[in-house]
Amino acid sequence: MRYALLVQGAPYSHQAAHSALRFASALIDRGHRLETVFFYHDGIYNAQRLATPPQDEPHLIEAWQRLHHEQGTALLVCVAAALKRGVIDERESQRHGKQGHSLAASFELTGVGQLIEAAMTHDRLVTFSP
Amino acid sequence: MQLHLLNRSVASSHVYRDALRAMSDDDYLLLIEDGVYGAVAPLVEHFSSIAGRLFALREDLESRGLEGRCAESVIVVDTEGFVQLTEETERTVSWF
Repeated sequence: MRYALLVQGAPYSHQAAHSALRFASALIDRGHRLETVFFYHDGIYNAQRLATPPQDEPHLIEAWQRLHHEQGTALLVCVAAALKRGVIDERESQRHGKQGHSLAASFELTGVGQLIEAAMTHDRLVTFSP
Repeated sequence: MQLHLLNRSVASSHVYRDALRAMSDDDYLLLIEDGVYGAVAPLVEHFSSIAGRLFALREDLESRGLEGRCAESVIVVDTEGFVQLTEETERTVSWF
């Protein structure tokens, strides 16, 4: 089956990202496809380019990027939720006259319409909230 | 048929009441994260109306040192079992 996950919890603050990643690997092991992860509200902090956790702690941002590289999972970040929290890609940075950008590679800023789209086009949508 | 997910302890949040009210007779409830505190007596009594349809996530019980204290009426599943529950049910509703 085609799965989508909605992640609304910030990494290292709540268990949501851990639970979602554990669920992601279990569903892949059962032969399903994880096509989309949508990050909303404080969940957008999962896309922080400069996150640098200690080496003996799980690197959640890299775990999401691994899913993208190995499974082709789309990592969609709500643009409105991200910009106001300072998670911004190069294009938006230029558009708003900012220096630097903070969105990690493999993540993309999208509208919340993509979440509705995911709910309609995937077989399952599971929400992990703080 | 729907799967409901609850990640709050019944001792700290009343959202479980909304979940129970919203559940149909054949829906399942899976306790995850801090929700698993509700799998232990006497808190588990809050879920007496859904006996046989109450699940708790093993990994979250273990990480809280609760596995041996889980009530017998609760069905313990690991994350693979969690995925299986989402296969069996049409929709998943998260309460938080």
